[in-house]
Amino acid sequence: MGTSKVETLTVPDPELVNPHDAIIKITRTAICGSDLHLYDGFIPTMEAGDIMGHEFMGIVEEVGKDVHNLKRGDRVVVPFTIACGNCLFCKKKIWSACDNTNPNAHLMEAAYGYSGSGLFGYSHMMGGYAGGQAQYARALRQRRPVEARDGPARRESALPL
Amino acid sequence: MSTALNEKPNAESLPASSGAAILQDGHYLAPPEDKDGKLWARTTALIQGSPDDLYALWRANENTPLWQEQIEEVVITGVNTSRWTMKDGDKTITWNAEIVADEPGKRIVWRSLDGDINEAGEVIFEPAPADRGTFVTVLMEFRIGKLASAWETLTGRNPKQGVIENLRHFKALAETGEIPNSQTAPHGDRGVVGKMKRSLYGETIPTPPGATAV
Repeated sequence: MGTSKVETLTVPDPELVNPHDAIIKITRTAICGSDLHLYDGFIPTMEAGDIMGHEFMGIVEEVGKDVHNLKRGDRVVVPFTIACGNCLFCKKKIWSACDNTNPNAHLMEAAYGYSGSGLFGYSHMMGGYAGGQAQYARALRQRRPVEARDGPARRESALPL
Repeated sequence: MSTALNEKPNAESLPASSGAAILQDGHYLAPPEDKDGKLWARTTALIQGSPDDLYALWRANENTPLWQEQIEEVVITGVNTSRWTMKDGDKTITWNAEIVADEPGKRIVWRSLDGDINEAGEVIFEPAPADRGTFVTVLMEFRIGKLASAWETLTGRNPKQGVIENLRHFKALAETGEIPNSQTAPHGDRGVVGKMKRSLYGETIPTPPGATAV
């Protein structure tokens, strides 16, 4: 809740917004070295009340109407970058440069000259999305970025992706 | 070279020393200066799709509220005329618009006829080299007072930025079938400063719905 201050709070649950969204019940989440940039106040447009966390995995709880490769109960790992899968960069598999997932791209253009993809829990100029250090998260663009892994129960560990 | 940070690089002016400056045909020139109460905006996006498909998506005026910010309703009133309703906070403004040039797959030019807005605009669809999609360029001019323009910047969206954002929404809808939206993201208490910053970040302008159902 401000530079160098992180708290646990009760907030509303995320909801489906777009047809390719999914709600993930989080089972494991990591604290990344780059979370320190947010914690120390080096990344502009991180605001009080924002939820951090960009390395998380969990179980699919709910999917939007256009998600066909995931269903409730699937175990998934959610990558940091949100990638649409259809723009010029995504077609070249340069997911972090996706054109279509940052709703606040104008802030990135002002600060960096050009915008990259939206990121989970990583300041407003990189999308303003809530992160995965929570009980539930809204994952987006499920056609590409979330990899569903089937199989019997296995050891889970959240690794930097 | 003076560059506006909120324009995409391919809309910037070319250095006069560059051989490519010979190609200047209007699309690559800097927009005319803002003067006499007239504002100019120009922006370009590279969109994956054919000029014909993108033209058809843009030309379906009745669907414009799905991807243009704050547009409430567009009623088609004739072959080339339509009535637009826009909601800006508590204010509702309406105007009639007319299409003055319509070349399928190439360009559309429009202007307002009467009502609360005085504007004209053009959208151009050009195939990009090597099958990389279509360059969509939007040029718009409108009249708004300097004070009103500054106020709009502080409280939400300057109309020039609005043109850029609307093209961004159009690109997202054309390529992915939805418009990215983080405005419903859960969060803790933002405090007074955090709430003020929301409007500076442009987050108080509702993201258009894009798709009709979740």
